[in-house]
Amino acid sequence: MDFTFTEDQLAFREAISRFLMTEAPPEMLREIWDTDDGRSPELRSKMAAQGLTALSVPEALGGLGMDDVAWALMTQELGYYAIADSMADTAYVATGLLSALPEATPRRDEMLSKIAEGDARFAVGHPVNPLVADVHLADVILLEHNGEIHSVRRESIGFERNPSIDSSRRLSRITFSPSDETRIVDAAQGQAIWNQTLNRGALAVAGQSIGLAQRMLDLSIDYVVQRKQFGKPIGSFQAVKHHLAQVAEKIEFAKPVLYRAAHALAQGEANVDLHVSHAKLACCEAAWLAARHGIQVHGAMGYTWEVDLQMFMKRAWALDSSWGDRAFHKSRVATAVLADGAPIGPQFTFGE
Amino acid sequence: MKLTFSPEDEAFRGEVAGWLRDNLVGEFEVLRYRGGPGDEHMFPEERKRWEQKLAEGGWTCVGWPQQYGGRGASIEQQVIFFEEYARAGAPGRVGHIGEGLAGPTLIAFGSEEQKQSYLPGIVAGTELWCQGYSEPSAGSDLANVRTKATQDTASGKWLINGQKVWTSLAHESDWCFVIARTDPDSQAHRGLGFFLVSMHQPGVTVRPIEQLTGTSEFNEVFFDDAVAADIVGEPGDGWKVAMGLLGFERGVSTLGQQMQFQNELDEIIRIAKANGAATEPSIRQRIAEAHTGLRLMRYNAMRMLSDNGSSEPDSSSLVYKLHWSSWHRNLGALAMDVLGPEAEIIESAPYNLTRLQSMFLFTRSDTIYGGTNQIQRNIIAERGLGMPKEPKGR
Ligand SMILES: Cc1cc2nc3c(=O)[nH]c(=O)nc-3n(C[C@H](O)[C@H](O)[C@H](O)COP(=O)(O)OP(=O)(O)OC[C@H]3O[C@@H](n4cnc5c(N)ncnc54)[C@H](O)[C@@H]3O)c2cc1C
Repeated sequence: MDFTFTEDQLAFREAISRFLMTEAPPEMLREIWDTDDGRSPELRSKMAAQGLTALSVPEALGGLGMDDVAWALMTQELGYYAIADSMADTAYVATGLLSALPEATPRRDEMLSKIAEGDARFAVGHPVNPLVADVHLADVILLEHNGEIHSVRRESIGFERNPSIDSSRRLSRITFSPSDETRIVDAAQGQAIWNQTLNRGALAVAGQSIGLAQRMLDLSIDYVVQRKQFGKPIGSFQAVKHHLAQVAEKIEFAKPVLYRAAHALAQGEANVDLHVSHAKLACCEAAWLAARHGIQVHGAMGYTWEVDLQMFMKRAWALDSSWGDRAFHKSRVATAVLADGAPIGPQFTFGE
Repeated sequence: MKLTFSPEDEAFRGEVAGWLRDNLVGEFEVLRYRGGPGDEHMFPEERKRWEQKLAEGGWTCVGWPQQYGGRGASIEQQVIFFEEYARAGAPGRVGHIGEGLAGPTLIAFGSEEQKQSYLPGIVAGTELWCQGYSEPSAGSDLANVRTKATQDTASGKWLINGQKVWTSLAHESDWCFVIARTDPDSQAHRGLGFFLVSMHQPGVTVRPIEQLTGTSEFNEVFFDDAVAADIVGEPGDGWKVAMGLLGFERGVSTLGQQMQFQNELDEIIRIAKANGAATEPSIRQRIAEAHTGLRLMRYNAMRMLSDNGSSEPDSSSLVYKLHWSSWHRNLGALAMDVLGPEAEIIESAPYNLTRLQSMFLFTRSDTIYGGTNQIQRNIIAERGLGMPKEPKGR
């Protein structure tokens, strides 16, 4: 049992964090919100230059070959800086899906190399999400049909854009006609890959939610230290302190759950669904509480468009039900725990 | 204890329902279910006309005494009125601050002359009011008001200087009631006055504040030698009057609010049944909790109103705001969970929210305005339970 990260993993996270701090401040995200596409090609190519898109592409194809555990750190940074979906979807979720394809799958290696170079945008449509993020700019969209995996170009499908409560989410409803040409993997192989993809999408959201929660906590601490009422900083009132201490507690307890799940996914453990659902629930709960308590301690200020807290709250609320809502993940946990012969009992408590 | 309505009350119900059926039509049709919490920026012109329509039918200020233009309706009839109003889906009232707050305050604390000059405009639905309490440095610490009132020695008029913030509907209002400091050397709740200020004068500037909904319902209001038309009570009485008014905030108007809550809950239940969320055990339990929480609120409100007359807040009224705001905040979350992954989809670009989204976002502020949950708990503990006061910085 070892919950620590390697030097490499930590150094990479640190580098990305510094980079995003200067390159993606809230003012800039707001400017991007106002654009039609909602994306900045410039920011994206800078992120690719930092190696983000290459992170988990296999080394043989020009990537860094890191796994879900490294992504558990990176998604937190994407959340902390409220980076739009296309990055995690392409660099983590789609890359994971493509890497899992049989090696002989046509264009697999080509697509992965393109991702590593930072030249391709991918969108992933799993049935658990009625809408697909970032279709409007995607070069390739990977879609599910009866367990099969289909790969289509944007020009060949119909899509209707549906704006979200989080202005940095750009969602579309898709219509496409699956055919022999679009199918890249049949259902026999596809089913397992889709399940893994669902878990990866859920973990991407879990990691981002922790980052969002941490950002909302930091913004709130800054605010309550400086805002005065009754002649004192409001942060000196016990009620306000407790509000934020509870958020910190949720965040700290959710992190090891996230890491445990990332490890399970990377290792292909049998009960990965249980771990991932647990992580999604714990991390989203932390983000949800951070939003609720964050706005509360901000008072009316938190209810304005101008104060940055709203950007992170809305993203947390929107992500909460993507890649499986609370009911979905709770029922996966219940199914695993209540199964006949489920591995519960003292002899199973930790390793599993 | 008597929990049934008399035949006269039932006849009254028929009258209300009939009037609404006949009048919430034509140009007012679009107003059904609109203008409620989170939607208050919508259809202001139509809703102003609706206010006057109500007045023509004698349906504004139903609970006010007849001598001031009200109907003098009993508590039972007021309950009925609010029930029928909500059942018809009639719109959020732009006149609610005048009818629910300014009017009752004037009736309780104003001079006869003041009553004669301000109440008729409220009853007629032609004069709208806003509440000028909060300031940048006076939120929870309301007594920290810095806006100044100085009496011009020549004319005897009070001149107001300072800034208010978060003033709901100021941009639609004709009048504002303002708490301002009459004694420049005073501190906290001593030395305040309660002023009535026309919004239509050069010394008043209203600047909208954009809310996280992308719309503006509240504003900054700047007073720059604005002339107050009146002071209610004496200089120095401001705090007493202002607090009396907050008591009305917990009065009968809460019943109308509960009916809106019921409409929202019904809508959530309808969606849950339609999209299958109602088969989900955790959602079912939360719907049941929402239902029981709302009932509890209703019984408590009825009990609170049964012993009306005593302006001293008793323990049932002290806990009321905390309960409804927390309940409503949970209802907002429930709405989003019932909608599931569709919850985030807005009605249309650039940022037009659906009714339930506006409701969800607005419920994030329920636990803040009108006294935050933390302040409510302090009041319950200190005033209701007699516990020692928290040490203050001043
Ligand atoms: C939608 C909306 C509409 C509004 N409409 C109006 C209006 O029409 N007219 C008007 O006058 N005002 C209005 N307000 C303002 C409202 O009354 C204030 O927001 C409220 O009083 C809180 O003040 P604040 O926002 O300055 O928060 P603050 O007082 O700064 O509070 C920030 C946080 O500190 C906590 N806190 C402060 N003091 C203490 C303490 N002693 N102990 C424990 N915790 C404490 C609070 O609970 C809160 O969590 C409106 C507000 C909103 C959100």
